[in-house]
Amino acid sequence: MAQVKIDCMYEPCPIPLLKAARELSSLELGDVVLIETDHSCAIANITEWAEKEKLDCWIEETRSGDWNIYIKKT
Amino acid sequence: MINQGKNDRLWQYVGGVLLIFVLVLIISRMAERSSVNLLFGVLFGFTLQRSRFCFVSCARDPVLFGNTRSVNALLLSLAIMTVAFPIIQNIQLQSIGKIVGQVHPVGIHTAVGALLFGFGMVIAGACASGTLMRVGEGYLMQVIVLIGFLIGVLLGVLNFGWWYDRFIAEAPVIYLPQYFGWIRAVIFQLGVLLVLYFFIKHYSSRKKIKI
Amino acid sequence: MKENQEMGLLKKLYTVVFKNIWPLWVGGVILAALNTVYLLLLGRAWRITTGFTYWSAWVVQAFGGKPQEWSYFVETGRQTEVEQCFFSNDLSLVSFGVILGALLSVLLSGQFKIKKIKTTKQAIAALAGGIIMGYASRIALGCNIGAFFSAVPSLSLSGYVFGLFVVIGAWLGSKFLVKFLL
Repeated sequence: MAQVKIDCMYEPCPIPLLKAARELSSLELGDVVLIETDHSCAIANITEWAEKEKLDCWIEETRSGDWNIYIKKT
Repeated sequence: MINQGKNDRLWQYVGGVLLIFVLVLIISRMAERSSVNLLFGVLFGFTLQRSRFCFVSCARDPVLFGNTRSVNALLLSLAIMTVAFPIIQNIQLQSIGKIVGQVHPVGIHTAVGALLFGFGMVIAGACASGTLMRVGEGYLMQVIVLIGFLIGVLLGVLNFGWWYDRFIAEAPVIYLPQYFGWIRAVIFQLGVLLVLYFFIKHYSSRKKIKI
Repeated sequence: MKENQEMGLLKKLYTVVFKNIWPLWVGGVILAALNTVYLLLLGRAWRITTGFTYWSAWVVQAFGGKPQEWSYFVETGRQTEVEQCFFSNDLSLVSFGVILGALLSVLLSGQFKIKKIKTTKQAIAALAGGIIMGYASRIALGCNIGAFFSAVPSLSLSGYVFGLFVVIGAWLGSKFLVKFLL
């Protein structure tokens, strides 16, 4: 079970989700993508997409205005 | 939060409470009209940030990712105002003889302006309300967008005459109640919003990201 | 025992209002209500970029210009407004308020962070995007708020046209973004 980290700090809205989707398409079942982002809209955006694609997704807030978003390929 | 102690955030909470005090102080001392403007601005900004309401997301996400929550919230918002605004317009028409609200001439200028605006907002990462919101959140990128806005608006003001003479001066103002009557206009618009809702729902359910 | 229960309730209230993200539809309902009350109280709906024209004009004024004499402000009947100042002009105050409201929101949820700019490409995109939007807002007679969010409920067809074309523009912008800025 691999975990791939994508650093999306300081990057604006659609970029984190676009990068995550691109990464996920090349991963295997059970692998996890970790997106590091500080964009508040990206969370809403990514969680909705993950729900729609029926992927496991959870978030932790690491520091003020920073989040780790985990998406697992299921 | 895992990497940060409670105290690191304490200054933010204190700052927030202080800001509330300062705002209450200022607003209570302002002239009535000014106080309403500032108060509502704060409420708009607070709501936008709390809900991460984003117009760029509304326009971009259904097409790019098949996400529809943003646009559905927008449609709901428009539907509520579609019923509420005309009531106020009607009242005001009878008392001051004027149609209040954003009623403007429509024409090629609207289409071209909107096209450019849509393009600009996606590459800047925010629209007008979003830019102000993100400046408040601390995004330095949107501070640059705001500066761009001020430059662009200035260019637009200086260039306005060109557009006005060619397109805006002769453009008609199409105010729906004038053609349909109040009630039919509202029902028509609610119908349009409903059709849009279903259209977007159907279209986006088949959307997959193509990279 | 009762004190603990009260603290628990307060904490829950704080979390729901200030910590958790509000659902988008809740934001939509509140914005609609706010804009409606605003229209009722002031006889005008929310708009943003027109306020920016005053901010720009005042910057020019600080450098010796006379914006109140420009044909734009004279012909649109906005001479009075451009002669006001930052804290007395309707639209200037609302936009300033939006910034403060958003700041208040992140402070109270402990999520404030100065987010730097990562690349020069981003900064250029930001500036270019802002300039394009500013110029476009004058042609279209408003922005996403003035020419759409407030125009559609005002039952003006201009709102429909703006909405349609802004989506097309956004689509083009997305293609450009993915190709050059990803």
